[in-house]
Amino acid sequence: MQTPGEEALVERARRGDPDAFEALVLAYQSLAFRTAFLIAGDATDAEEAAQDGFVKAHRALRRFRSGEPFRPWLLTIVANEARNRRRTRGRRAALALRATPVPHAPGEDPEEAALATERRQQLLTAVEGLGDDDRDVLACRYFLELSEAETAAALGIAHGTVKSRTHRALARLQEELQ
Amino acid sequence: MTDLELELRDLAAHLDVPPAPPLFGTVLARVTRRRRRRRVVALAAACGVAALAVGFAVPGSRASLLRFFHVRGAAVTLVDRLPPLTGDRSLGQPIALEQAEFRLLLPSGRRPDTVYAGDGGYWLRYPGLLLFEFESGGGPEILKKAALGTSDVEYVQVRGEPGIWIGGRHALYLPGGPPVAAGRTLIWQHGSVTLRLEAAVGLERALAVAHGVH
Repeated sequence: MQTPGEEALVERARRGDPDAFEALVLAYQSLAFRTAFLIAGDATDAEEAAQDGFVKAHRALRRFRSGEPFRPWLLTIVANEARNRRRTRGRRAALALRATPVPHAPGEDPEEAALATERRQQLLTAVEGLGDDDRDVLACRYFLELSEAETAAALGIAHGTVKSRTHRALARLQEELQ
Repeated sequence: MTDLELELRDLAAHLDVPPAPPLFGTVLARVTRRRRRRRVVALAAACGVAALAVGFAVPGSRASLLRFFHVRGAAVTLVDRLPPLTGDRSLGQPIALEQAEFRLLLPSGRRPDTVYAGDGGYWLRYPGLLLFEFESGGGPEILKKAALGTSDVEYVQVRGEPGIWIGGRHALYLPGGPPVAAGRTLIWQHGSVTLRLEAAVGLERALAVAHGVH
Protein backbone atom coordinates (compact mmCIF):
# COMPACT_ATOMS: atom_id res chain seq x y z
CA MET A 1 0.00 0.00 0.00
CA GLN A 2 1.22 3.47 -0.81
CA THR A 3 0.75 6.33 1.61
CA PRO A 4 -0.42 9.66 0.20
CA GLY A 5 2.89 11.24 1.23
CA GLU A 6 4.83 8.58 -0.58
CA GLU A 7 2.74 8.93 -3.72
CA ALA A 8 3.58 12.63 -3.77
CA LEU A 9 7.26 11.85 -3.24
CA VAL A 10 7.26 9.39 -6.14
CA GLU A 11 5.57 11.98 -8.35
CA ARG A 12 8.13 14.60 -7.42
CA ALA A 13 10.97 12.13 -8.04
CA ARG A 14 9.48 11.31 -11.46
CA ARG A 15 9.60 14.99 -12.30
CA GLY A 16 13.30 15.03 -11.45
CA ASP A 17 13.25 16.37 -7.88
CA PRO A 18 16.50 15.01 -6.33
CA ASP A 19 15.31 15.66 -2.76
CA ALA A 20 12.26 13.47 -3.33
CA PHE A 21 14.35 10.66 -4.75
CA GLU A 22 16.79 10.99 -1.83
CA ALA A 23 13.85 10.65 0.58
CA LEU A 24 12.77 7.46 -1.20
CA VAL A 25 16.28 6.02 -1.05
CA LEU A 26 16.51 6.84 2.65
CA ALA A 27 13.11 5.28 3.29
CA TYR A 28 13.85 2.05 1.46
CA GLN A 29 17.61 1.49 1.65
CA SER A 30 17.37 -0.83 4.66
CA LEU A 31 14.60 -2.95 3.15
CA ALA A 32 16.37 -3.06 -0.22
CA PHE A 33 19.63 -4.20 1.38
CA ARG A 34 17.91 -6.79 3.58
CA THR A 35 15.97 -8.16 0.60
CA ALA A 36 19.12 -8.41 -1.48
CA PHE A 37 21.04 -10.00 1.37
CA LEU A 38 18.41 -12.66 2.01
CA ILE A 39 18.46 -13.58 -1.68
CA ALA A 40 22.17 -13.23 -2.45
CA GLY A 41 23.47 -14.34 0.95
CA ASP A 42 26.48 -12.03 0.74
CA ALA A 43 26.82 -8.50 2.13
CA THR A 44 28.94 -7.13 -0.72
CA ASP A 45 26.64 -8.57 -3.38
CA ALA A 46 23.66 -7.24 -1.46
CA GLU A 47 25.12 -3.74 -1.23
CA GLU A 48 25.84 -3.70 -4.97
CA ALA A 49 22.45 -5.15 -5.83
CA ALA A 50 20.61 -2.61 -3.69
CA GLN A 51 22.68 0.26 -5.06
CA ASP A 52 22.23 -0.82 -8.70
CA GLY A 53 18.54 -1.40 -7.99
CA PHE A 54 18.06 2.20 -6.88
CA VAL A 55 20.00 3.57 -9.85
CA LYS A 56 17.94 1.45 -12.29
CA ALA A 57 14.74 2.45 -10.50
CA HIS A 58 15.69 6.09 -10.96
CA ARG A 59 16.24 5.54 -14.66
CA ALA A 60 12.90 3.75 -14.96
CA LEU A 61 10.88 6.23 -12.91
CA ARG A 62 9.32 7.76 -16.00
CA ARG A 63 7.83 4.37 -16.83
CA PHE A 64 6.46 3.94 -13.31
CA ARG A 65 2.68 4.03 -13.40
CA SER A 66 1.26 6.81 -11.31
CA GLY A 67 -0.70 5.60 -8.27
CA GLU A 68 0.88 2.13 -8.26
CA PRO A 69 2.64 1.05 -5.04
CA PHE A 70 6.32 1.98 -5.15
CA ARG A 71 7.65 -0.63 -2.70
CA PRO A 72 6.95 -3.82 -4.70
CA TRP A 73 8.10 -2.09 -7.88
CA LEU A 74 11.43 -1.24 -6.27
CA LEU A 75 11.76 -4.69 -4.71
CA THR A 76 11.24 -6.29 -8.12
CA ILE A 77 14.29 -4.47 -9.43
CA VAL A 78 16.44 -5.07 -6.33
CA ALA A 79 15.53 -8.77 -6.07
CA ASN A 80 16.32 -9.24 -9.74
CA GLU A 81 19.75 -7.66 -9.23
CA ALA A 82 20.36 -9.92 -6.23
CA ARG A 83 19.33 -13.06 -8.13
CA ASN A 84 21.64 -12.11 -11.00
CA ARG A 85 24.55 -11.84 -8.60
CA ARG A 86 23.68 -15.14 -6.95
CA ARG A 87 23.57 -16.75 -10.39
CA THR A 88 26.91 -15.23 -11.38
CA ARG A 89 28.52 -16.37 -8.17
CA GLY A 90 27.12 -19.87 -8.67
CA ARG A 91 26.49 -20.39 -5.00
CA ARG A 92 24.92 -18.64 -2.05
CA ALA A 93 26.38 -18.37 1.42
CA ALA A 94 24.07 -19.91 4.01
CA LEU A 95 22.28 -17.60 6.43
CA ALA A 96 23.27 -17.85 10.06
CA LEU A 97 21.79 -16.98 13.40
CA ARG A 98 23.20 -13.97 15.18
CA ALA A 99 26.25 -14.92 17.22
CA THR A 100 25.16 -12.81 20.16
CA PRO A 101 21.92 -14.22 21.50
CA VAL A 102 19.16 -11.88 22.50
CA PRO A 103 19.43 -11.35 26.27
CA HIS A 104 17.00 -13.47 28.24
CA ALA A 105 13.99 -11.74 29.65
CA PRO A 106 13.82 -11.62 33.44
CA GLY A 107 12.42 -14.91 34.69
CA GLU A 108 13.06 -16.73 31.41
CA ASP A 109 14.39 -20.23 31.89
CA PRO A 110 17.93 -20.39 30.37
CA GLU A 111 17.36 -24.03 29.46
CA GLU A 112 14.22 -23.19 27.52
CA ALA A 113 16.06 -20.34 25.84
CA ALA A 114 18.82 -22.75 24.78
CA LEU A 115 16.25 -25.17 23.40
CA ALA A 116 14.61 -22.34 21.46
CA THR A 117 17.98 -21.40 19.94
CA GLU A 118 18.56 -25.02 18.99
CA ARG A 119 15.13 -25.21 17.38
CA ARG A 120 15.78 -22.00 15.42
CA GLN A 121 19.06 -23.41 14.15
CA GLN A 122 17.28 -26.61 13.12
CA LEU A 123 14.62 -24.60 11.29
CA LEU A 124 17.20 -22.39 9.58
CA THR A 125 19.16 -25.45 8.42
CA ALA A 126 15.95 -26.89 7.00
CA VAL A 127 15.18 -23.61 5.19
CA GLU A 128 18.71 -23.51 3.78
CA GLY A 129 18.26 -27.08 2.57
CA LEU A 130 15.37 -26.06 0.29
CA GLY A 131 15.84 -25.19 -3.36
CA ASP A 132 16.33 -21.52 -4.24
CA ASP A 133 12.73 -21.08 -5.48
CA ASP A 134 11.19 -22.41 -2.27
CA ARG A 135 13.67 -20.65 -0.05
CA ASP A 136 13.17 -17.28 -1.77
CA VAL A 137 9.43 -17.40 -1.37
CA LEU A 138 9.74 -18.22 2.35
CA ALA A 139 12.33 -15.47 2.81
CA CYS A 140 9.99 -12.93 1.21
CA ARG A 141 6.89 -14.04 3.03
CA TYR A 142 8.27 -14.67 6.53
CA PHE A 143 11.71 -13.05 6.86
CA LEU A 144 10.80 -9.85 5.02
CA GLU A 145 7.09 -10.07 5.85
CA LEU A 146 6.07 -9.14 2.31
CA SER A 147 2.48 -9.72 1.25
CA GLU A 148 1.70 -12.36 -1.37
CA ALA A 149 1.33 -9.63 -4.00
CA GLU A 150 4.66 -8.04 -3.04
CA THR A 151 6.34 -11.45 -3.03
CA ALA A 152 4.97 -12.14 -6.50
CA ALA A 153 6.31 -8.80 -7.72
CA ALA A 154 9.71 -9.22 -6.06
CA LEU A 155 10.25 -12.71 -7.41
CA GLY A 156 8.66 -12.08 -10.79
CA ILE A 157 6.14 -14.90 -10.45
CA ALA A 158 2.36 -15.15 -10.52
CA HIS A 159 0.30 -14.59 -7.39
CA GLY A 160 -0.95 -18.19 -7.60
CA THR A 161 2.61 -19.46 -7.84
CA VAL A 162 3.45 -17.68 -4.58
CA LYS A 163 0.60 -19.53 -2.90
CA SER A 164 1.47 -22.94 -4.28
CA ARG A 165 5.21 -22.51 -3.74
CA THR A 166 4.68 -21.35 -0.15
CA HIS A 167 2.42 -24.31 0.53
CA ARG A 168 4.95 -26.72 -0.97
CA ALA A 169 7.90 -25.17 0.87
CA LEU A 170 6.09 -25.27 4.23
CA ALA A 171 5.16 -28.92 3.66
CA ARG A 172 8.78 -29.76 2.89
CA LEU A 173 9.95 -27.93 5.98
CA GLN A 174 7.40 -29.71 8.15
CA GLU A 175 8.54 -33.04 6.77
CA GLU A 176 12.20 -32.18 7.34
CA LEU A 177 11.57 -31.13 10.94
CA GLN A 178 9.67 -34.26 11.98
CA MET B 1 -1.10 -18.67 10.65
CA THR B 2 0.30 -22.10 11.58
CA ASP B 3 2.89 -22.73 14.29
CA LEU B 4 5.53 -23.29 11.63
CA GLU B 5 4.76 -19.94 10.01
CA LEU B 6 4.99 -18.25 13.41
CA GLU B 7 8.33 -19.94 13.98
CA LEU B 8 9.59 -18.62 10.66
CA ARG B 9 8.54 -15.09 11.62
CA ASP B 10 10.37 -15.51 14.93
CA LEU B 11 13.44 -16.83 13.11
CA ALA B 12 13.63 -13.63 11.05
CA ALA B 13 14.38 -11.64 14.20
CA HIS B 14 17.35 -13.87 14.99
CA LEU B 15 19.03 -13.97 11.58
CA ASP B 16 22.50 -12.54 11.25
CA VAL B 17 21.75 -9.85 8.69
CA PRO B 18 24.34 -7.04 8.58
CA PRO B 19 23.03 -3.51 9.02
CA ALA B 20 22.33 -1.74 5.76
CA PRO B 21 25.32 0.26 4.54
CA PRO B 22 24.81 3.96 3.76
CA LEU B 23 23.59 3.63 0.19
CA PHE B 24 22.05 6.98 -0.52
CA GLY B 25 25.29 8.95 -0.91
CA THR B 26 26.61 6.64 -3.61
CA VAL B 27 23.24 6.19 -5.30
CA LEU B 28 22.62 9.92 -5.51
CA ALA B 29 26.12 10.56 -6.77
CA ARG B 30 25.65 8.00 -9.55
CA VAL B 31 22.26 9.38 -10.45
CA THR B 32 23.45 12.98 -10.33
CA ARG B 33 26.54 12.17 -12.37
CA ARG B 34 24.43 10.52 -15.05
CA ARG B 35 21.98 13.42 -15.16
CA ARG B 36 24.74 15.94 -15.37
CA ARG B 37 26.47 13.99 -18.10
CA ARG B 38 23.24 13.91 -20.00
CA ARG B 39 22.83 17.65 -19.79
CA VAL B 40 26.40 18.30 -20.85
CA VAL B 41 27.11 20.88 -18.21
CA ALA B 42 30.72 19.89 -17.75
CA LEU B 43 31.93 23.46 -17.95
CA ALA B 44 29.57 24.71 -15.28
CA ALA B 45 30.48 21.74 -13.09
CA ALA B 46 34.17 22.47 -13.43
CA CYS B 47 33.52 26.07 -12.44
CA GLY B 48 31.65 24.87 -9.35
CA VAL B 49 34.56 22.71 -8.23
CA ALA B 50 37.03 25.47 -8.89
CA ALA B 51 34.99 27.99 -6.94
CA LEU B 52 34.71 25.70 -3.95
CA ALA B 53 38.37 24.81 -4.11
CA VAL B 54 39.25 28.49 -4.04
CA GLY B 55 36.90 28.90 -1.11
CA PHE B 56 38.72 26.22 0.82
CA ALA B 57 42.15 27.47 -0.10
CA VAL B 58 41.64 31.15 0.61
CA PRO B 59 39.72 31.79 3.83
CA GLY B 60 39.14 35.43 2.99
CA SER B 61 37.29 34.62 -0.20
CA ARG B 62 34.57 32.42 1.29
CA ALA B 63 31.68 34.63 0.26
CA SER B 64 29.42 31.62 -0.32
CA LEU B 65 30.59 29.65 2.70
CA LEU B 66 28.01 29.94 5.42
CA ARG B 67 29.62 28.45 8.51
CA PHE B 68 32.72 26.54 9.55
CA PHE B 69 33.27 23.59 11.91
CA HIS B 70 36.65 22.25 12.91
CA VAL B 71 38.27 19.45 14.90
CA ARG B 72 41.93 18.50 14.73
CA GLY B 73 42.76 17.34 11.21
CA ALA B 74 39.28 17.91 9.81
CA ALA B 75 37.09 20.80 8.74
CA VAL B 76 33.47 21.01 7.66
CA THR B 77 32.22 24.02 5.77
CA LEU B 78 28.57 24.78 5.16
CA VAL B 79 28.01 26.04 1.63
CA ASP B 80 24.98 27.12 -0.32
CA ARG B 81 25.59 24.63 -3.14
CA LEU B 82 27.39 21.30 -3.30
CA PRO B 83 29.85 20.62 -6.09
CA PRO B 84 29.27 17.75 -8.54
CA LEU B 85 30.14 14.60 -6.66
CA THR B 86 31.53 11.27 -7.65
CA GLY B 87 30.45 8.08 -5.92
CA ASP B 88 33.64 6.24 -6.81
CA ARG B 89 35.93 6.01 -3.85
CA SER B 90 39.10 3.96 -3.93
CA LEU B 91 40.03 3.21 -0.35
CA GLY B 92 43.66 2.37 -1.04
CA GLN B 93 45.82 -0.68 -0.61
CA PRO B 94 44.41 -3.57 1.47
CA ILE B 95 46.73 -4.39 4.37
CA ALA B 96 46.67 -6.55 7.48
CA LEU B 97 45.42 -4.81 10.61
CA GLU B 98 48.80 -5.27 12.26
CA GLN B 99 50.64 -3.52 9.41
CA ALA B 100 49.25 -0.10 10.32
CA GLU B 101 51.84 2.37 11.55
CA PHE B 102 49.89 3.15 14.68
CA ARG B 103 47.51 1.06 16.76
CA LEU B 104 44.15 1.26 15.04
CA LEU B 105 41.15 1.82 17.26
CA LEU B 106 38.35 -0.71 16.83
CA PRO B 107 34.61 -0.45 17.60
CA SER B 108 34.03 -2.69 20.63
CA GLY B 109 37.37 -4.29 19.81
CA ARG B 110 35.89 -5.93 16.67
CA ARG B 111 38.29 -6.62 13.83
CA PRO B 112 37.24 -5.09 10.51
CA ASP B 113 36.51 -7.12 7.38
CA THR B 114 39.23 -5.24 5.52
CA VAL B 115 41.80 -2.54 6.29
CA TYR B 116 43.05 -0.23 3.53
CA ALA B 117 46.01 2.13 3.72
CA GLY B 118 45.27 5.33 1.84
CA ASP B 119 44.45 9.04 1.98
CA GLY B 120 46.99 9.61 4.73
CA GLY B 121 45.38 7.15 7.11
CA TYR B 122 43.56 3.84 7.29
CA TRP B 123 40.08 2.82 6.18
CA LEU B 124 38.44 0.05 8.21
CA ARG B 125 35.52 -1.60 6.49
CA TYR B 126 32.79 -3.31 8.52
CA PRO B 127 29.38 -4.48 7.31
CA GLY B 128 27.36 -1.29 7.12
CA LEU B 129 30.06 0.89 8.57
CA LEU B 130 33.17 2.60 7.27
CA LEU B 131 35.77 3.99 9.64
CA PHE B 132 38.72 6.21 8.71
CA GLU B 133 41.52 6.90 11.15
CA PHE B 134 44.59 9.07 10.88
CA GLU B 135 47.19 10.58 13.21
CA SER B 136 46.25 14.20 13.43
CA GLY B 137 48.63 15.67 16.01
CA GLY B 138 49.88 18.96 14.60
CA GLY B 139 49.51 17.84 10.98
CA PRO B 140 47.52 19.38 8.17
CA GLU B 141 43.81 18.89 7.70
CA ILE B 142 43.30 15.54 6.01
CA LEU B 143 39.52 15.64 5.84
CA LYS B 144 37.69 18.53 4.30
CA LYS B 145 33.98 18.45 3.89
CA ALA B 146 31.32 20.66 2.44
CA ALA B 147 27.70 20.33 3.46
CA LEU B 148 24.66 22.32 2.45
CA GLY B 149 23.82 25.18 4.75
CA THR B 150 20.49 23.54 5.45
CA SER B 151 22.18 20.32 6.65
CA ASP B 152 22.08 18.94 10.13
CA VAL B 153 25.65 19.69 11.26
CA GLU B 154 26.58 20.16 14.89
CA TYR B 155 29.40 19.92 17.38
CA VAL B 156 29.26 16.91 19.68
CA GLN B 157 31.46 15.36 22.36
CA VAL B 158 32.80 11.81 22.43
CA ARG B 159 34.36 10.82 25.73
CA GLY B 160 34.97 14.47 26.45
CA GLU B 161 36.74 15.14 23.15
CA PRO B 162 35.31 17.29 20.37
CA GLY B 163 33.54 15.91 17.38
CA ILE B 164 31.30 16.95 14.49
CA TRP B 165 28.12 15.24 13.37
CA ILE B 166 26.97 15.65 9.76
CA GLY B 167 23.45 14.29 9.47
CA GLY B 168 23.09 14.29 5.70
CA ARG B 169 24.62 14.11 2.27
CA HIS B 170 27.79 16.08 1.84
CA ALA B 171 30.99 16.35 -0.16
CA LEU B 172 34.13 14.69 1.15
CA TYR B 173 37.48 16.03 -0.04
CA LEU B 174 40.43 13.70 0.40
CA PRO B 175 44.00 14.77 -0.34
CA GLY B 176 44.47 15.18 -4.09
CA GLY B 177 41.13 13.65 -5.05
CA PRO B 178 37.83 14.96 -6.42
CA PRO B 179 34.91 15.54 -4.04
CA VAL B 180 33.08 12.31 -3.36
CA ALA B 181 29.56 11.80 -2.07
CA ALA B 182 29.27 10.85 1.58
CA GLY B 183 26.38 10.12 3.90
CA ARG B 184 25.82 10.56 7.63
CA THR B 185 29.16 10.94 9.33
CA LEU B 186 30.63 11.45 12.77
CA ILE B 187 34.15 12.85 13.06
CA TRP B 188 35.87 13.00 16.43
CA GLN B 189 39.22 13.16 18.15
CA HIS B 190 40.57 10.32 20.24
CA GLY B 191 43.97 11.10 21.71
CA SER B 192 46.38 11.70 18.85
CA VAL B 193 44.04 10.13 16.32
CA THR B 194 41.08 11.63 14.47
CA LEU B 195 38.37 9.23 13.39
CA ARG B 196 35.61 9.43 10.83
CA LEU B 197 32.66 7.05 10.99
CA GLU B 198 30.18 6.76 8.13
CA ALA B 199 27.05 4.63 8.47
CA ALA B 200 23.34 4.91 7.78
CA VAL B 201 22.49 5.51 11.42
CA GLY B 202 21.34 8.45 13.46
CA LEU B 203 23.45 10.55 15.81
CA GLU B 204 22.57 8.55 18.89
CA ARG B 205 23.68 5.24 17.36
CA ALA B 206 26.80 6.81 15.87
CA LEU B 207 27.76 8.19 19.26
CA ALA B 208 27.19 4.76 20.85
CA VAL B 209 29.57 3.19 18.33
CA ALA B 210 32.11 5.98 18.82
CA HIS B 211 32.02 5.56 22.60
CA GLY B 212 32.78 1.85 22.10
CA VAL B 213 35.88 2.53 20.01
CA HIS B 214 39.09 1.68 21.84
